[in-house]
Amino acid sequence: MAKEVLISGCAAAAQAVKYSRVDVICSYPIRPYTAIMMELAKMVANGELDAEFIHGEGEHAQLSVCYGASAAGARVFTGSSGVGVTYAFETYSPISGGRYPVQMAIADRALDPPGDFGSEHTDAMSCRDQGWLMGWAETPQEVFDNHLINYRVGEDRRIMLPQFVCHDGYFVSHIPGKVILPDQSQVDEFLPLYKPLHPLDPKHPVSHGPQIRPDQGAIMDLQRAAAFLEVPKVIREAIDDFNRIFGRDYRPFLDEYRTEDAEIVFFLQGAHARTARFAVNHLREKGLKIGLVKLRFVRPFPTEEIQECLSRFKAVGVIETSTSYGGAMKGGNLIHEVRAALYDAPERPLTTSFMAGLGGDVITIEDFSWMAEKLAKAVKAGKVEKYVYWVGFELEE
Amino acid sequence: MFKIPKEREVPFGGIVPAPVGENRMMVTSNWRTYRPVIDHEKCNMCLNCFLYCPDACWHEDEAGEKMVWNADYCKGCLICVSECTTEALSPAHELDFEAGVVRLEKLF
Repeated sequence: MAKEVLISGCAAAAQAVKYSRVDVICSYPIRPYTAIMMELAKMVANGELDAEFIHGEGEHAQLSVCYGASAAGARVFTGSSGVGVTYAFETYSPISGGRYPVQMAIADRALDPPGDFGSEHTDAMSCRDQGWLMGWAETPQEVFDNHLINYRVGEDRRIMLPQFVCHDGYFVSHIPGKVILPDQSQVDEFLPLYKPLHPLDPKHPVSHGPQIRPDQGAIMDLQRAAAFLEVPKVIREAIDDFNRIFGRDYRPFLDEYRTEDAEIVFFLQGAHARTARFAVNHLREKGLKIGLVKLRFVRPFPTEEIQECLSRFKAVGVIETSTSYGGAMKGGNLIHEVRAALYDAPERPLTTSFMAGLGGDVITIEDFSWMAEKLAKAVKAGKVEKYVYWVGFELEE
Repeated sequence: MFKIPKEREVPFGGIVPAPVGENRMMVTSNWRTYRPVIDHEKCNMCLNCFLYCPDACWHEDEAGEKMVWNADYCKGCLICVSECTTEALSPAHELDFEAGVVRLEKLF
């Protein structure tokens, strides 16, 4: 029987892993994601979950264990945060190149300058081009759901790719929210047992990750790129099934809030969408035609959906929560993708970006109001003042 | 959707049937400075060296009576020496051998 509980994002992730009947879990501690492994360790110790629980001696080892376990044919789960995510960086490309559908939870944490444990998306976003699926959850419920959806998509024979399933540290990882824990039979219907392509078999031994010639390297890249072209279709199928089986109403890529008659929108991913919804309500009361568009997958990036959706508005404010120092838009990351996607759109909205929610900062209603003001001003002027604003730090004239 | 020239094809994920032999073009022991030397009298065939070697450089001979070392791929990490349960393995410097890799005239 399905039941409703009040649990944190980390506990929700652990529950999803249990429901997914994972075979191998590899841990290494770093906060805030550690709470996921604490939950899973208890489940394994109590006999609730029949899985191998392995302690890596660091994140690089942790991911390497997962690499091997997945190659042997196991459904694998791991996770990390912040510098843990980047310490394992070398392993990400071979895991996606070998087409092992490893799943890794990332509860975001700022990278060290020199030691910040607040939430910021830069840890995960730095890994976005390694051939893994990647997307953020806004609530513990979405954390739970995204883990199931990602296993289903990643393990699909047309895809066979690993997945980063991300949620903001603390804002989601440690603040409890309402989560519907489904009946196991619902999960079993949605997510069949993993069928590996080359399960470990002494009678038919295979070599994983062998040396290839330089003239074969491009083909390995092309294989992944071609698989990624299929991912949107498989995500759509999975979301349809998910909504049917679990009674949800997710849209695969873009979640819209109060956009029907909106002229300006905030565009973002992750936890701050929660606060942004309150800000939109607040600004609506003041008479501003504003809405919110939340991105659910940044890899694959939903180019066509972005064109169709964002073209309806006059101005889009991309809220970054991650950094790209020296980038084309001089601060953030996401706006590169948004602007590139919009380039060929017949109607292009004005787009600018806001550096906010960095290092664990809360984005306040006042911050959102300030951003809305900048967007409204851009609409009035017919152009954006600049590519990027550092919210709370701009010299006002 | 894409075309890949026949001679550049790569199997899915680069995964291939395990080779039955060794690749003579890829001998990788040339940075070894020490090698493990086995005393067969002391060896009790516990297989720790086989299990722990990161490069699969220890295996049983066909009769299953003694361990055989593969000089072409051993990097000299000496993990086997430290894992050996009977002190049958000991490190020896490459300079102590006529054909030690440090004496090779031609590098790979």
